[in-house]
Amino acid sequence: MRKRFIAAMFAGTMILSLTACGKGAGSGKGQVELTVTTTFAGEDTNAQNYKDAYQAWEKETGNKVVDTSASSDETFKARISTDFETGSEPDVLFFFNGADANSFIEAGKVVSIDEIRKEYPEYADNMNDDLIAPSLVDGKKYAIPVNGYWEAMFVNTEILDAAGVSMPDGSYTMDQFKADCEKIKAAGYAPIAAALGNIPHYWWEFAIFNNQSPATHLEIPASVDDANGKAWTAGMNDIKELYELGYFPDNTLSATDDETFAMFTEGKAAFLIDGSWKVGGIVGACQSDPEDASTLDEAKLDQFDVTYVPGKGDRKATDLVGGISMGYYITKKAWDDPAKRAAAVSFVEYMTSDSVIPAFCEHAASALKNAPEVDESKFNSLQIKSMSMMAGTTSLTGAVQDLFQGDCRVSTFDGMPEIVTGKVSAEDAVAEGLAAYHNQ
Amino acid sequence: MGANIYRNKKPALVFLVPAFLFMAVYLYYPFFKNILNSFMEIKQLGSSGTGFNTPWYHNYREMLHDEYVWVSIKNTLLMMAVTLAGQVGIAIALALMVDNIGRGKQFFKTVFFFPIVISATALGLLFNLLFLYDKGMINQVLEALGRKELIDWKAEGIALLTMMLPVMWQYVGFYFVILVTGLNNISDELYEAAKIDGATAMQRIRYISLPLLHNVICTCSVLAVTGALKVFDLPWTMFPKGMPLKSTFLTGTYMYYHTMETKNVDYGSALAVLIVVLGIVLSKVVNTVFREKDY
Repeated sequence: MRKRFIAAMFAGTMILSLTACGKGAGSGKGQVELTVTTTFAGEDTNAQNYKDAYQAWEKETGNKVVDTSASSDETFKARISTDFETGSEPDVLFFFNGADANSFIEAGKVVSIDEIRKEYPEYADNMNDDLIAPSLVDGKKYAIPVNGYWEAMFVNTEILDAAGVSMPDGSYTMDQFKADCEKIKAAGYAPIAAALGNIPHYWWEFAIFNNQSPATHLEIPASVDDANGKAWTAGMNDIKELYELGYFPDNTLSATDDETFAMFTEGKAAFLIDGSWKVGGIVGACQSDPEDASTLDEAKLDQFDVTYVPGKGDRKATDLVGGISMGYYITKKAWDDPAKRAAAVSFVEYMTSDSVIPAFCEHAASALKNAPEVDESKFNSLQIKSMSMMAGTTSLTGAVQDLFQGDCRVSTFDGMPEIVTGKVSAEDAVAEGLAAYHNQ
Repeated sequence: MGANIYRNKKPALVFLVPAFLFMAVYLYYPFFKNILNSFMEIKQLGSSGTGFNTPWYHNYREMLHDEYVWVSIKNTLLMMAVTLAGQVGIAIALALMVDNIGRGKQFFKTVFFFPIVISATALGLLFNLLFLYDKGMINQVLEALGRKELIDWKAEGIALLTMMLPVMWQYVGFYFVILVTGLNNISDELYEAAKIDGATAMQRIRYISLPLLHNVICTCSVLAVTGALKVFDLPWTMFPKGMPLKSTFLTGTYMYYHTMETKNVDYGSALAVLIVVLGIVLSKVVNTVFREKDY
């Protein structure tokens, strides 16, 4: 009998242990534990600002943030999508407001700003609502934005000087760009820092944009044969031409984005098309300790500049890609949890307050009603150059890839190496992607 | 009571049922669900199928025309060959050499076994640095030796070799330890008798060590071949998405790519079924080829 009892005890303990494995850690007494996922991580300009801000909020409220932020890439997007599908989404999410958010908005997994305002009327009342992007699913607004973004072309001026190339300006054309690339290549440098086998996104976007206009760029082609479809195909062929001319690094098909970025910062590649978030990455590369701003090598940073992406046809170089594409969501899971609802609202209000947002914006735009004062004396040389470059833009258009999500991207994003090497024709790749898009 | 305690099987059931339930929930249910998923249309990871594909065997038909399925199967078979020759072959050579030295056996056992305890992902990152195009250790050494041009160790023609070398290196120590233990079980008297009869060192290996190690080598070979089917993290860390030009896909990495990256979940499920079938067939073949002998 005693043995049976012990056996039953053991079995019971095993079952309890298994059950316990499925439960998450509870929040501590007297404090709320919020799980927050953002893209403020890695080389993001605002990674440190984010850390500072949420730690200040923790100190002020006594609550705790479990930060699960990660660099924004396709794997991160897949992770977020999976988290929502499997019910393990964070309480607060800083994420894209375009088609990437469609799946969890359709599933009713996040709470709209209007619904939050019914209980918290002052929620995000410091924002200009007109600048908050509505969801593509239902037209409601969900995400409170922090900072805008732009995509432009960073330049390593040391290489330009060595190759006898002058700094491009707002009238820069694709033909001039190719002529400059030829000189840079002849001088022994890689003209373009890009990993076509890993992150072809920026070239994909601008190559298509160069065959359209700001008015048509956000139109997804109905078929490969219509005007936009032909523009997309022409864009892919433009990248192929640059690849065949040898303007990308020798290892562009096998390198990661980090590797080609390192080539740019270490003076081996001249041009880098990337987003405003890369300013922080370049500054970090000029610091002996990437975590310590006081170790910045200002002379090295001065060698970097930012300019417009070479234009073609109806797109002027000064027509850039940008806007406000991300914001803070409060998930339904947190909203329905009485212990977390107020904390989640408090966190988002704090992170999007007039006092916190200016640190995040710096050289980019915000959606604040009262535009923050800019103190240029606190900016480094690349941030000042960025502001100067942005002052000359003629238009800012959203990224069409934000609307073109999911497996429709595979044939032209993951398939870029096949396109540039001629294994697959640009037309076939675009047609395959569009077929997948219209089948969604 | 007495001997009845051995007839009463109920206490054993109390222990077995939770384990069985655990296996049923976390292994058998997902396994059969995955087979069903491979016939369904699934839009997102984690979501249920919206209905059966048209036709229901669409994914399997697709697989026949998918050139990268064949690339991944070819690479996996190549990985098995490399594993057999590289891991087990090198491990046999090392074990025989270490068995013949007087002192320092324990030292070599530890040194050769050490890579096993490092996570494959960490090893992937480590070898990424070694094979880096610009400022990688190998290219720096070659540069110091006078080579002018950098070698892209991850370029299409050479990528498979770059991927398989670290995988091979990682597990040599595992088989080495098993084989050294096998060698220790061979009686010294046999070697002494052979020595008195005038057998050379090579003859002692050829006619004593290798025949008596046969069963251990068979076990290692079966483990190596079935292990090659499961290799995932190191190749994925070094060559994400089958880079370059999707030439380095293994069956496991290709399945993961479709499930997690392209979000073609039902096709990923079909590829998982293919991996299971491949695993069963290859295990059968390997068990037949490397059949253990009764002495």
